[in-house]
Amino acid sequence: MTASAANPVAPVLDVKDLHVEFDTYGGIVKAVRGVSFDVHAGKTLAIVGESGCGKSVTVQSIMGLIPMPPGRITRGTAMLDGVDIVQQKIVNGRDIRGNRVGMIFQDPMSALNPTMRVGDQIAETLQVHRGYSKRQAFDRAVEVLTLANIPEADKRARQYPFAFSGGMLQRAMIAIAIACEPAVLIADEPTTALDVTIQAQILDLLKDLQRRNGMAIVLITHDLGVVARMADDVSVMYAGEIVETGSVDDVFYRAAHPYTLGLKAAMPSSTTPKDQGLRPIEGTPPDLFAPPDGCGYFARCPHAMRVCGPSHPPNVEVDPRHNALCWLHHPDAPRTVSELHRRVQA
Amino acid sequence: MSTPAHLTPADFAPAVMERHVHAISRPSLSYWQDAVRRLRANWRAMTSLGVVIGLCIFAVAGPWIWQVDPAAQDVDQISQGPSLPATALIVEPGTAWAGVTKEPTASGDVVANLRLAEPATTQTVRLTWEPVVGATGYVVYRSIYDPAPDRALGLPLGDSLGANRVSYEDRLDLKPQRYWYSVVVLDANGAEQQAYETFSVDVVRAASIEEAQARGWTTQDAALTVGTQLTLPFHPLGTDYLGRDMLARLIYGARVSLFIGVVAPILFVLIGIVYGSIAGFVGGRLDQVLMRFAEFVIALPFLLFMILFKIAFGIGPGESGVIPMLVALVILDWPPTARLVRGQILQIRQEGYVSASQLLGAKTGYLVFRHMIPNTLGVILVTLTFAVPSAIFTEAFLSFIGMGVAPPTPSWGSMANDGIRTMLSHPHELIFPAVLISIAVLAFNLLGDGLRDALDVRMRGRE
Amino acid sequence: MLAYTFKRLIQGVITVWFIATATFFAMHAVPGDPLANERATTEAIRKNLEARYGLDRPVTEQYVLFLGNMMRGDFGISFTQENRRVNDIIRESFPVSATLGILAVAFAAFGGVVWGALTAIYRNRLPDLVITFLVILGISVPGFVVAALGQLALVDINAWLGFSLLPIAGWGSIRHMIVPSMVLGLGTMAYLTRLMRSSMLEITNSDFIRTARAKGLPPTRIFLKHQLRNAILPVITVLGPSIAAITTGGFVVELVFAIPGLGRSFVQSVQQLDYTVIMGTTVFYGAFLVFMVIVVDLLYGLIDPRVRLE
Repeated sequence: MTASAANPVAPVLDVKDLHVEFDTYGGIVKAVRGVSFDVHAGKTLAIVGESGCGKSVTVQSIMGLIPMPPGRITRGTAMLDGVDIVQQKIVNGRDIRGNRVGMIFQDPMSALNPTMRVGDQIAETLQVHRGYSKRQAFDRAVEVLTLANIPEADKRARQYPFAFSGGMLQRAMIAIAIACEPAVLIADEPTTALDVTIQAQILDLLKDLQRRNGMAIVLITHDLGVVARMADDVSVMYAGEIVETGSVDDVFYRAAHPYTLGLKAAMPSSTTPKDQGLRPIEGTPPDLFAPPDGCGYFARCPHAMRVCGPSHPPNVEVDPRHNALCWLHHPDAPRTVSELHRRVQA
Repeated sequence: MSTPAHLTPADFAPAVMERHVHAISRPSLSYWQDAVRRLRANWRAMTSLGVVIGLCIFAVAGPWIWQVDPAAQDVDQISQGPSLPATALIVEPGTAWAGVTKEPTASGDVVANLRLAEPATTQTVRLTWEPVVGATGYVVYRSIYDPAPDRALGLPLGDSLGANRVSYEDRLDLKPQRYWYSVVVLDANGAEQQAYETFSVDVVRAASIEEAQARGWTTQDAALTVGTQLTLPFHPLGTDYLGRDMLARLIYGARVSLFIGVVAPILFVLIGIVYGSIAGFVGGRLDQVLMRFAEFVIALPFLLFMILFKIAFGIGPGESGVIPMLVALVILDWPPTARLVRGQILQIRQEGYVSASQLLGAKTGYLVFRHMIPNTLGVILVTLTFAVPSAIFTEAFLSFIGMGVAPPTPSWGSMANDGIRTMLSHPHELIFPAVLISIAVLAFNLLGDGLRDALDVRMRGRE
Repeated sequence: MLAYTFKRLIQGVITVWFIATATFFAMHAVPGDPLANERATTEAIRKNLEARYGLDRPVTEQYVLFLGNMMRGDFGISFTQENRRVNDIIRESFPVSATLGILAVAFAAFGGVVWGALTAIYRNRLPDLVITFLVILGISVPGFVVAALGQLALVDINAWLGFSLLPIAGWGSIRHMIVPSMVLGLGTMAYLTRLMRSSMLEITNSDFIRTARAKGLPPTRIFLKHQLRNAILPVITVLGPSIAAITTGGFVVELVFAIPGLGRSFVQSVQQLDYTVIMGTTVFYGAFLVFMVIVVDLLYGLIDPRVRLE
């Protein structure tokens, strides 16, 4: 069958060296600059980063959802079960979107068609991908809504989106995404627009569904709490690049990039002393109209060295399957990462 | 990526930071600067702005440049198309012509040597030809087209009876143009022969000295001699069905149409702003009453009430009827602006930045000038721009059904109305005013589109 | 829904009362002698005529009488057309105008949706540019010029064909209706095309279309089931005002094509200053428009599920 089934070590989705640009009135924005990541069946990869760092553009370009023009993918591959869905443009084919890869979005309020019954919006994907009849598809839609923890699903399926609350709508969105039992589920900030209590429910639902279906989840978020709760692996994105990638434990406890450290320092935790305020990262991300030659974090980095400005940092494997894009890991660098940790904790 | 081959320990010294972290490489633009920038990048809107300015110059400065009375009739040049300056030849006053008699020597069924006896002028065309043996007479035809090949000879001017009467004098409403004259022989039975002789004549505009003076082509005391070429009044865009100069009427028509088109919207938008602001600010019961009344006025069938108001105001003798139309437009057209302004005010009052400003202790006056007006101005400007073409249309429509400005005051609408009657024979009388209406409406519409896009906050930073 | 309908109808009745009042007082402000066109040769005849039209009573009494007659649906007798009741004039000419108007609205709505959708699909490509240009032309050329050019074109087509394909004026058969209704609907069609285009483009960028694409639906299905249906909604909301624009635009078309409709009889009555016909036609038109706007609003509620609940 699929490559992942034949070889359990191979990732379901493997993205390599992805570049995305946009034409705007001010020039070309290089939104994604050589992003690589992979995710295995039954695992969750979280991509974290602040607003505008290119998280959403990365996954939407893989799904062929960015408007082209003005956007375009200039380089890179995205292998889904060993088939490149970016360069071969088969992402537009029915077999990938909504079938092998499901996707949910940030704002459930506007993500559903306001003039179509919720059940019909789920049934649609089944009609298209599975060739179900209208009747069959609607019955299955009710089942999927039940799976997504929507009470009285057969009644709810006949209602229009305006009759749903935000949390309910996100459940309906999840039902649409998982209706065809995809191998990969991409969740683009699925809980950002929701109340905190609802957020937890939605995350539990996603985990629960993952256990049942064994699907891989790519979770886009800027919330480190969500990452800790959900992810197996984490990729930290900054200014269109992945600056650090590794397991949750690696990234949380053995962070190898100053930006990751900055993010962690900016996050409140139960051990933060009451009188100590949050530590924001000073400055703003670089202008992606003219991305710097060297490290994107150079201007904000408290550990910046001369080399960081003009020269792009190397991708260093600090531990097995734990990489960081930073000059500090160069043998000539005066400071080591363990020193950084001490400085942060001090 | 630029990874240098050789790194020295010096490269790993802490970087000396020039602290320009917050420097932004693109210049920052205020709302209005950004709007102007986007408007200037929109070539359609900029072209339209140029056209609008051009039309205003045409209306305002036109009468100084083209000093022709729009009401003066040139009876010599009625319904004339656009043309170069015409000239007229000064000739002797017309005299009677005895004609030509000649005994026939040649036989045949068609006359020979059809020719002019004298140079052809608009005063008279005198024809003569060789007689035909056995003819009982000749019929003379005149056409403005070449009769070949289907023997469309045109207007039968008259007969000359007798084989020897070989001349004809045409004085029938001659115009300075080319005519085709045809002569047909009548046989012994008085029947017309099938064959005919034809030739073309280019008639020259001519008048006697007295006629030229009477028509005002020249002053009484100017010395005129026979044979002089006199330049006639020049109508670059032709004349209308009463012989009035089209260019002059278009200029004065522009004054009327643009006056109504621009002043009426300014007035009703101002009224709408005041009315809407009162309703929006005071709120409560007064707001309810004011808005219900505005809804009633909107419900009035617009054009019917324009007509009712027009006849209710009446047009006295010698009045142009521009002011009644203006007033009627203002009475009927203010409510949409009032509703818009009220809505904007209510909306802006709810915005977080107004509450924040209030919390910081801003007074009402500050709120109005700092938040309300700048945020409403754009919408009002767009409304105003779009109101102009619809006012121009309304004027044209009313003039078309005879309810517009009173003759002889020209407006583009009334000119188009006049032009429609002569649409088939003299299309320029319809085309010029219709094209000007269309250009003006188009320019204001495109300018409005451009303004709307430029002022739309959602479009900020986009193309 | 029922309560809403009822409320709208009550509001409509009050609006019609306002229209009637405004009409009455506007007509009473008209300078000159209402009987100027009549043969009021002697004082006796004049008295007689004044009594017949109620002109001998005070204005307030006339107003009450007018409202009373209106409520019974009686608009009185024509001043200029011998013994004709205004109701008869409306009854004869309104169906003509209504037929013309319905055809024009149908033509405008259908054309507007189709052209608007096409321009959005072919955004910034040749079909979009051509249609957008024609739309701008359609909005910028006055209706009476379009009507005149339409008639002129018909004359030429008939001459070129050598037989009368479609009559150039008059009323009676379907063949008479085609060109006038197209001419009448053209301006509104241009307006609706623009509206449809911007509505389509807005929806193209909306989240739920992105969802539909993420679901892997084929483009035709996204277009028909998701985009078109939502894009039509704003077009429907402006149909009410469009009907008003088309009925008044009908004046010109009826004049140019010699169609015996209500617009032509109104213009004639204005030119002859026929008081009762002017008032009757105005109030009738106003009531008709108010009613149409209510009908369109209620129809909109049937189509948009979000409105249905309220």
